[in-house]
Amino acid sequence: MSRAHGILAEYPTPAAAMAAAVRVRDAGYSRWDVHTPFPVHGMDEAMGLKNSPVGWFTFLGGLSGYTGGMLMIWFMNAYHYDIVVGGKPLFSGFYAFPVCYELTILLGAFGSILGMLILNRLPRWHHPLLSNLRFAQVTHDKFFLVIECDDVKYDEARARALLQAGADHIEMVEDD
Amino acid sequence: MSAHATAAAHAHAEDHVPTMWERLPWMAAALGFLGCLAGYVFEGPKNFAHAYLVAFMFFLSLGLGAFFLVVIHHLFDAYWSVPTRRFLEHLACLLPWMALFFLPIGLLSGDLYYWMNVDPAKDHSLAVKQVLFNKATWGVASAALFGIWWLWTHRLRGWSLRQDETGAAECTTAMRRWAASGIFVFAFSLTAAAIFWMKSLEHQFFSTMYGVYYFAGSVWMTLATAYAIALLLRRSGRVPMMGQEQFHSLAKLLFAFTVFYAYIHFSQYFLIWNAAMPEETFWYAKREQGTWAIVGWVIILGHFVLPFLVLLRIDAKLSTKVVIPIFVWVWLMHHLDLQFNIMPLVQPEGPAFLISTLGALLFIGGLLAALFLWDLRRHPAFPLKDPRMGEVVRH
Repeated sequence: MSRAHGILAEYPTPAAAMAAAVRVRDAGYSRWDVHTPFPVHGMDEAMGLKNSPVGWFTFLGGLSGYTGGMLMIWFMNAYHYDIVVGGKPLFSGFYAFPVCYELTILLGAFGSILGMLILNRLPRWHHPLLSNLRFAQVTHDKFFLVIECDDVKYDEARARALLQAGADHIEMVEDD
Repeated sequence: MSAHATAAAHAHAEDHVPTMWERLPWMAAALGFLGCLAGYVFEGPKNFAHAYLVAFMFFLSLGLGAFFLVVIHHLFDAYWSVPTRRFLEHLACLLPWMALFFLPIGLLSGDLYYWMNVDPAKDHSLAVKQVLFNKATWGVASAALFGIWWLWTHRLRGWSLRQDETGAAECTTAMRRWAASGIFVFAFSLTAAAIFWMKSLEHQFFSTMYGVYYFAGSVWMTLATAYAIALLLRRSGRVPMMGQEQFHSLAKLLFAFTVFYAYIHFSQYFLIWNAAMPEETFWYAKREQGTWAIVGWVIILGHFVLPFLVLLRIDAKLSTKVVIPIFVWVWLMHHLDLQFNIMPLVQPEGPAFLISTLGALLFIGGLLAALFLWDLRRHPAFPLKDPRMGEVVRH
């Protein structure tokens, strides 16, 4: 049984897609996206996108890398199995720092990748847009705007009217 | 438009009535001069010389940092930095003026540099470094540094000003040539300045990081200053294309140098701590006496941790409410860092307030500010006919 995923509008130019994005943004929709063959300057502002929250995942990853590294080195060298090296103290933030610094970067990078995957709801096997024949042109020369049906503001007639100006074609996308 | 703007700038310079803000630097310099005299008389030549050296190295940072930013602007062929380039050229052209402020250091060199009064035959560490540390080399090198800085900074600004008139592409080519040689000249001259004037205070000390340590702090402090000047120039309306892109880029560089400074200073400490050789460790051991130990922590937390956390977010980098207090903080921290390098020689127990410190800062800073404002008044406030200006306006 197929179910509607959303409404798809095709535009011939970046400008037409951008104008439509501004209208959809101002109408207050939340579950929608623009798909273009190349990055379009100014599209982020036209869509009202804010700075990505991925940075928070990076920060938390880095923080746990640093503290985890310090704890690990302290536990191993000063608590669980004491080793005196070169007459230095059993634990010092100085000799532990290079390793913790590397761990900060490593877990920071892991945090970024994980944050990106989580926020994009990846990985997934399939996306309804990928079985739409018209949408295949997104990697060629067409510009698309999709409003999903589970948007709280969604109403087919109103969405269709909003997307109409400048569009070559509007159709429903089925989720099968 | 540009010929008109040049004429307007000239007319502006001629019938100019100084405002309160333009008189302020002169008043500061006069007050500072009295402070220096009082400091010399009441606190003694040795205290005065060290406090004065801190102020000298502090403002030298600004000229060197600006010289560096002008050079990398040309080397990277960046377009975002075109509107900021002119005032950075002015700041770099303050370097030859520093020769004037160097006179007290030259005259009081005997009070500053212990090795000048020592017989190399009786001091092994001096004997092995005698090639570098002898009065003749020190004097000639000091004079040569100002000459080198004069040549490069004035050639870079000279071609830039010529382009304002002609708009010729050959000016850009010439500036690139001076920048390509300039990056080497910059690296070697800054390192020499840091070694001869600051590191040689304790001639026994070894550190291969010392030059780059001074470099990291200098560019850091210059970037904060450049952001502040860029804000003022936008407010005055003299550089209309100064916008978010310029501020964001300057703040990103400030953030990068916050991390770079920490990386360099930590590396210097870490290597010395790990090797634990007395000819290196004495330098930090001296700086762990009395309240200098607290200053060390203030530098770790205030020079790195605090600005790092504050400048991490993009919205903080663009908010004047956040960055303006940060600029003041950056100046304080860079000055404290230089005190940490220089002052333990006269204040072994910890930093203490000296009239000389305040006097030297006001004296050098006041006169440099007056010179900078004069340069800003008599020249167009941005490179009028830079070939990349179109890109700045379009973006």
